[in-house]
Amino acid sequence: MLDPKTERQTIQRARRGDREAIAELIRAYQRPLESFLFRLCGKSELAEDIAQEAFVRVIKSLDRFDERFRFSTWLFTIGKRLLVNYHQKMKPSADSEMVESRANDVRRPEHQLEQHERSEKMGHMIRVALDSLVSPQREIVLLFHQQGWPVDRIATELSMPEGTVKSHLFRARRRMLEAIELSGTPNPSEVFQ
Amino acid sequence: MSHSDDFDAGDRDGAERRGPNASVRAQRLLVRVLLALRGESRRTSGPARDARRAELLADRILADFPRRVLPIGLAAVAIVVFACSFPLVRDALPAAHLGAQSTPVATALESGLRTQGEAMSDGIEALRAIMTPFAGGASSAAAPGAETAIDESSEVSLEAATAPFRQS
Repeated sequence: MLDPKTERQTIQRARRGDREAIAELIRAYQRPLESFLFRLCGKSELAEDIAQEAFVRVIKSLDRFDERFRFSTWLFTIGKRLLVNYHQKMKPSADSEMVESRANDVRRPEHQLEQHERSEKMGHMIRVALDSLVSPQREIVLLFHQQGWPVDRIATELSMPEGTVKSHLFRARRRMLEAIELSGTPNPSEVFQ
Repeated sequence: MSHSDDFDAGDRDGAERRGPNASVRAQRLLVRVLLALRGESRRTSGPARDARRAELLADRILADFPRRVLPIGLAAVAIVVFACSFPLVRDALPAAHLGAQSTPVATALESGLRTQGEAMSDGIEALRAIMTPFAGGASSAAAPGAETAIDESSEVSLEAATAPFRQS
């Protein structure tokens, strides 16, 4: 993540077509955007594609960017809209993520295998927790816990009062807790290092 | 992870007392899930791979830049050409096509020059009118004067003509 001052300077350079500035913006926000989209759609390849498309659209429209706002807010909004558009166009398909992870499960050394199993269990627990959430709650949880956005920024982004955001966060944590309990609650030390 | 094992052993009793819905273990798992979620936006699969992807995407975006800049450049050139040729086109149109209140720059300049030219020609005419009598009189009066002088000299007697010299 870039600090606001560096971000403004980088955006001004990118507006003039500075390749390094464009690459810098992409490097800074690529991973956060992809992880956010991945947790919204559950497919890593789709998340990567949509993140790329969001970058293309945002950087091409940098002239219209209002510098009073954060670049990441704009980028995440575009990314989310693209994902929504994709889901509206495409019918929901079978979750390929599990198939993908199974296909990648090739022979590894024992310590790597153990780490991989932990990682899979962790991924499973995150999925269980997030799958229990409905649309605005999932997004709020991701923006708050994954992206580290403050409540006021989430409230502005989602056009809702701060109290509503806090209430959604509280309910979302309770739902996730219930989902984890229902899933059998493995020993935390088995799941996380 | 002996600390977590001790905690888990203690939890088991606590969870039994509170019932399955208030499992401390589930709460700990939730905290770890949220922490793992936080780590997702920071962790990279490989910095070199991410950097390479960023560079490729930057190149792809930059490849589209000329297509975006070209229409703007063409529009700018068209505006300049129109702005430069507009006065010429306007003067080329017949006067009837122009509005009454619009005075073309070239027409105003031309009428100004014409007025100045007329004033100059008036001045020249005036000068000529003044000079003409002198020019004509000089040539025509010189001859009668000369004739008079000749006539007078012919009429003067030799004595009168030489009188002063004779006195001295």
